[in-house]
Amino acid sequence: MTEVKHVNLFQRLFPSVISGILLGVIGAVAAAWLVAIWAPENYDAQVAAGYTAWALFFFIGIGAFNGVARWGIARRDATPTEELYLAGKDQGLWRYFRYTTDHKVVGMQYLATVLVMFFLGSMGAFMIRLEQSQPGAIFLNPSTYNTIVGMHGILMIAATIVMISGPFGNFVLPIMIGARDMAFPRLNALSYWLLFAAIPIFFSTLAFGGFPTGWTGYAPLAVQELTPGMDAYCFTIILFAISTTVAALNIVTTVLVFRARGMTWGRLPIFVWGVLFSVVLGLTAFPSFLMSQVMVVMDRVFQTSFFVASFGGSNWLYEHMFWFMGHPEVYVIALPAMAVAAEVTSVFARKPVFGYRMTIGSLAGISVLSVLVWGHHLYTSGSTAALNGPYMLDTELISIPTGVFFLGIIGTLWRGKIWMTVPLLFVAGMLVNFVVGGVTGIYLADLPTDEILHGGMFVTAHFHFTLVGSMVFGFFAGFYYWFPKMLGRRLNPALGRFHFWLFEIGFLGTFLALFYAGLQGEPRWSANVAPAYAVPNLIASLFAILIAASVFILVYNVVITLLRGERAIANEWGARTLEWMVPTPVPLENFEHLPEVKGLPYDYSPSSPNTDAIPVMVPATPHDYQPPESLKNDGGGGTIQETPLEN
Amino acid sequence: MGTALEQMHEIDPHTRAVRARAGVLMLILSDALSVVAIMAAGGYLSALNTLNQYRLPKEHPPAFWPGLLLSIVLLLSGLAYYGWARSMLRSRADERRFFLWLAFLLMVLVLAGQIWIGVTLGYEQPFDAYVSLVLLFTWYSAIHFLLAVVIGLLVLGRALRGRMAGALYLVTTSGYWWYYTVVASLVMWVFITLLR
Repeated sequence: MTEVKHVNLFQRLFPSVISGILLGVIGAVAAAWLVAIWAPENYDAQVAAGYTAWALFFFIGIGAFNGVARWGIARRDATPTEELYLAGKDQGLWRYFRYTTDHKVVGMQYLATVLVMFFLGSMGAFMIRLEQSQPGAIFLNPSTYNTIVGMHGILMIAATIVMISGPFGNFVLPIMIGARDMAFPRLNALSYWLLFAAIPIFFSTLAFGGFPTGWTGYAPLAVQELTPGMDAYCFTIILFAISTTVAALNIVTTVLVFRARGMTWGRLPIFVWGVLFSVVLGLTAFPSFLMSQVMVVMDRVFQTSFFVASFGGSNWLYEHMFWFMGHPEVYVIALPAMAVAAEVTSVFARKPVFGYRMTIGSLAGISVLSVLVWGHHLYTSGSTAALNGPYMLDTELISIPTGVFFLGIIGTLWRGKIWMTVPLLFVAGMLVNFVVGGVTGIYLADLPTDEILHGGMFVTAHFHFTLVGSMVFGFFAGFYYWFPKMLGRRLNPALGRFHFWLFEIGFLGTFLALFYAGLQGEPRWSANVAPAYAVPNLIASLFAILIAASVFILVYNVVITLLRGERAIANEWGARTLEWMVPTPVPLENFEHLPEVKGLPYDYSPSSPNTDAIPVMVPATPHDYQPPESLKNDGGGGTIQETPLEN
Repeated sequence: MGTALEQMHEIDPHTRAVRARAGVLMLILSDALSVVAIMAAGGYLSALNTLNQYRLPKEHPPAFWPGLLLSIVLLLSGLAYYGWARSMLRSRADERRFFLWLAFLLMVLVLAGQIWIGVTLGYEQPFDAYVSLVLLFTWYSAIHFLLAVVIGLLVLGRALRGRMAGALYLVTTSGYWWYYTVVASLVMWVFITLLR
């Protein structure tokens, strides 16, 4: 057994997030001050210098460069003892505030961050609904309203991009493929802390006048905006894009190189496929978005003219660069959520995924087509009409693999032994919402109807149905499904159902009302509701109260479960994938001996060769599933002495 | 929690090599796409020529000869790295460290030269779209060189400590990034030289 490195209190505190923040703030203030001496009139330059220094010094302070320096300069590589310390061994909760490399710690950090982002983003949504609950200004002026809409939008988009590949892609995926850790544990920590470093930058926009562009940050408005709040948006996106790129290359390498013996491509769980396609898509789509923000910063700080028409720039350039990422980004969000749905459905229908290869093929088809459709966001921007036909066709084509995928889920449910747990309930909600989101998308994909509907509440309702109603529901399916493995406790299922029904009813009421408002002609981006649209907006705002209530139910459920929830067993749902075969809490390197995989993880037949491994875990009928006493107490099926947060 | 599972397992050398190769290639793919994105942006702005203001008559292209000289030095840096990597892989010993030093010093020279080119471009604010592109390509190349210098420093440090011979895959994978820096920067230089 590897000896654990012992450290004193000072070594525990430095490096950590505390030293990172301290050094980052000092660096940011010093850099902004120095630039202010050199260019006193250029506030954008001062803010940009501050943000750059914050990121650089934060990473020095948290110890991100220690491993790099050791790699190149030290006389030897880190010893196993030092690696163990870096992985957070015996550091309790403090390891979540350090540059810890264990993939499960990083997964938990992502999960906590995503939940906080969702909470803050949804608070922004309630402010929007409150402001729009009746005609005229209530408590926000138009500028503040625009900033809140933009902050809500980009916060939620960022949260949904990482909501599955961050928490579950880090915690669950390596175990699912039979790996001991991610391919690059230090890069794994880097990807999370880059996201963390972007958050203070993002919220600092409130101190610098906000940004009026909405989540898209459209130029030339982004360039013309006089307050430095827009710089916060640009730097947030730049850090976020680097974070997702680092995470993507890590996940892809992990799946390519660290699969267990026998884990062939044809035996990979659907979830792994979904995350893999998603991050590859992100890896190809995000560079153009990153460069678009670099160009905006250059336009603002150095007076270049990429997007200034009077000096030969063009807003179309921004639109192309943004939407080249912006549309695939929807599928970066969607693919893992859809894969979670397929995974959860198979477990709770006690049936193999219907058409495994067909399902993977459909995910691949969506990935390829999604990078060819960005032009449909420019239908009404005045670009050449010759492009409209091909973009319409491409966009329509995506509905084929998407339909095939959902056919696979229906096929999995068909004649299955349905165990209606909270995760499956969220999958059911996802199916219902996706039908509405998908069908309304066709109207926006077709130019004749898009000419009428674009820029209106119809669009708002459509993308909320796809992103929230479908993908966030997919996230919650995964959240309720993997929570017992990640936290070692069972969420209260009654509160889970309550959360689902409040969310689903509130969601349908809110956004169906906004569909109606959109069909009546209500535009987006209007702080004040016109009297003609007062009724649907009031209905939407009233139903939003249910969504708010569902958020608090979720928070209550999580808090109460962490404080005094029932302890979970190793294989809580009797599932077949590898993450359920390791003890709970999951040991530091997951497996004592790396597993050898003999088949797909979806065989629930009694004659399955895998059944011997977990003979009592798979009930004949899911309704009478009762974990045996032996598994609740001993260490054979699962070690349940403490929660993963405490070990 | 103190179970027997709580120990660090060594990763076998082959897996380490494949992992490093895959990671660097992925990084190159991502960066190459960002280079493609700005090249596409340049071509697009040039073709649009918005309000005939894309490039004002007074704006000159970046000086050709310094750029060419820098490209030759860059190429030599790549060749020097190749010479070192080849000797390392053949003899499995650090016999021709001179080549590594040469590759590194040439890259430092290229970085210094690129910064000099950047600060002496001689354009005046506000910059039109063409000049904006020249500035972007110039400084983006400089960032690539800076990254290559940092990597060169780390590789050199490791080699001086005698820690390269046991991990030859690092020579190869660091080389991927080195060669990519050379190729990407040459492509960007040719592009900006030809851009009208």
